[in-house]
Amino acid sequence: MNKPIRMALTKGRLEKDTVGLLEKLGFDCTAVREKGRKLILPVPDANLEVVLAKANDVITYVEHGVCDMGVVGKDTIMEMKGKFYELVDLGFGRCKFALATKKGYDFYSGYGIKTIATKYPNVARSFFEKKGMDTEIIKIEGSVELAPLLELADGIVDIVETGTTLKENGLEVIEDVAPISARLIANTVSLKMRHAEIDRLITLIEENL
Amino acid sequence: MKNYDLITPEGTKDLLFGECIVRRNIESSLMGLFRSRGYSETITPGLEFYDVFNLNSSYFPQENLYKLTDSKGRLLVMRPDNTMPIARIVATRLRDADLPLKLCYAQAVYTTEPSLKGRSDEVVQTGIELIGSQLKMADLEVISTAVDSLSSFGMEFSLELGHIGIFKELVGKLEASDKDKEAIRKLIENKNFPALNDLLDSFGNSPVTTALKKLPALFGGEEVFEKAEELMPDENIKRILDELREVYSDASELCGGDGSITVDLGLVNKTDYYTGLIIKGYLQGHGEEVLSGGRYDRLISEFGYDVPAIGFAVNINAVAKLMEKSDVLPAEPKADVIVYAEDGCEVAALKAAKELREQGLIVENALFDDLESVREYAMEKKISKVVVIDGESKEVNI
Repeated sequence: MNKPIRMALTKGRLEKDTVGLLEKLGFDCTAVREKGRKLILPVPDANLEVVLAKANDVITYVEHGVCDMGVVGKDTIMEMKGKFYELVDLGFGRCKFALATKKGYDFYSGYGIKTIATKYPNVARSFFEKKGMDTEIIKIEGSVELAPLLELADGIVDIVETGTTLKENGLEVIEDVAPISARLIANTVSLKMRHAEIDRLITLIEENL
Repeated sequence: MKNYDLITPEGTKDLLFGECIVRRNIESSLMGLFRSRGYSETITPGLEFYDVFNLNSSYFPQENLYKLTDSKGRLLVMRPDNTMPIARIVATRLRDADLPLKLCYAQAVYTTEPSLKGRSDEVVQTGIELIGSQLKMADLEVISTAVDSLSSFGMEFSLELGHIGIFKELVGKLEASDKDKEAIRKLIENKNFPALNDLLDSFGNSPVTTALKKLPALFGGEEVFEKAEELMPDENIKRILDELREVYSDASELCGGDGSITVDLGLVNKTDYYTGLIIKGYLQGHGEEVLSGGRYDRLISEFGYDVPAIGFAVNINAVAKLMEKSDVLPAEPKADVIVYAEDGCEVAALKAAKELREQGLIVENALFDDLESVREYAMEKKISKVVVIDGESKEVNI
């Protein structure tokens, strides 16, 4: 048998959803479910090897070709960019990027340059660039909601799922930036050199979405 | 002020010993291959005027170039590409030369790559440019040189063919803004099916949109052409497809039909000067193409000389990295003899060493002032013979 196809999964919810999907396809994912602290795990009947990584690292490993495929959120893809094929929208992990401000704040009024706090500076920059709007972007690592409350920023660009955190802190979404969901990505060379195997897997996945 | 005197800039590195041997071996075997097919070498400056790379048919984003100014304040760049300087030479010094011209090169290109991604800002390329022929034989000549280059590395490879004309014809039939056309191109390049379908849906349902949606999926072997033929809405595209198919079958036959030649109709690279056939080469174990090229029939005309051309470049850094991964680094040849001079016999020793070298041996001159140190050094370096010169010469075996 060929050496297994390596698939990097984003640890956490996307990992669980992907394992669920693989099991739905009839593959035995016991090793992944009972992983302990191991980070590389076999799914033998699919000739797969699952690698567990942080979202940004999934892209890095796939870009370098040390993993053939990966499952990662569109949010990470939009922020990181990079050279790989983005083959399938897996449909799970749905949420969105949105622009939020303090409730009732008129973000687009006045001529002063607005300050945006975000964990995703590239996403925020390209959103306002498309509007032809100069903004000052400040990168925040933790709870971005704090920035407008502490009056560091006029607004935030962040991932919104239910909007509960925003509401509880007196913020509201004023504009959607982009929808997000999990994507199946592939290294550009792997897709060509292992075309038949990857193609079979993708067809199977698409039939079961 | 912080001092950076002990490190090299990000994206660059020093090569030592075995690494140099690997690098030089690859370079010289490829250059030997090119010469054996009648290609002549050119060396172009590492510094060029920015204008050479700022043409209509090619766009090197300025943020990816190393820039500096000359003494008159004019903008220079570190050469980011090898084909365009050669196009410049062809349109100037070689303008009156007989065609076709067959040129080759082995030199570095410089671009600023994103930091902390493990990428190189300085990449050595060896490649060829065949100028002045539009014949199918010219395409095959370049393809077979590419195949010989890839197979010379002794690793599993695949050579992929595409044709930019198919995309250009299709998108030309679409009533879309340049911005949307560029968005479509990018989505096809990234094989981003979900977003491509969404975007094309906004242009309604037509044979053109259907074909564009399928384009990134049209890669693989012979079967691609059958699938593609049903999809292509017009004679122009069918003609391009037929041409590509002919080149593909000839190239496959050349390789003994072992499946190492493939086709991808979704190769639509950005900022390319390519006008027709596109070539990509892959080696098992490297995450990006190691060989890249194609036909650029309009590039040289931007320098004022309208002549067709085709070529490719091999990324030597990538091939060397793979070879270093798969093999033990080659050891440098060890010396056969070390010559030790007693006091006052230095000139005689240098002459004796020279004579031994003329017999084809590798000979070191000992740089110690006692014979015992020379013996130790010879043992350490596995040099089997010490020659002592003290008025008369005598050999000592280790």
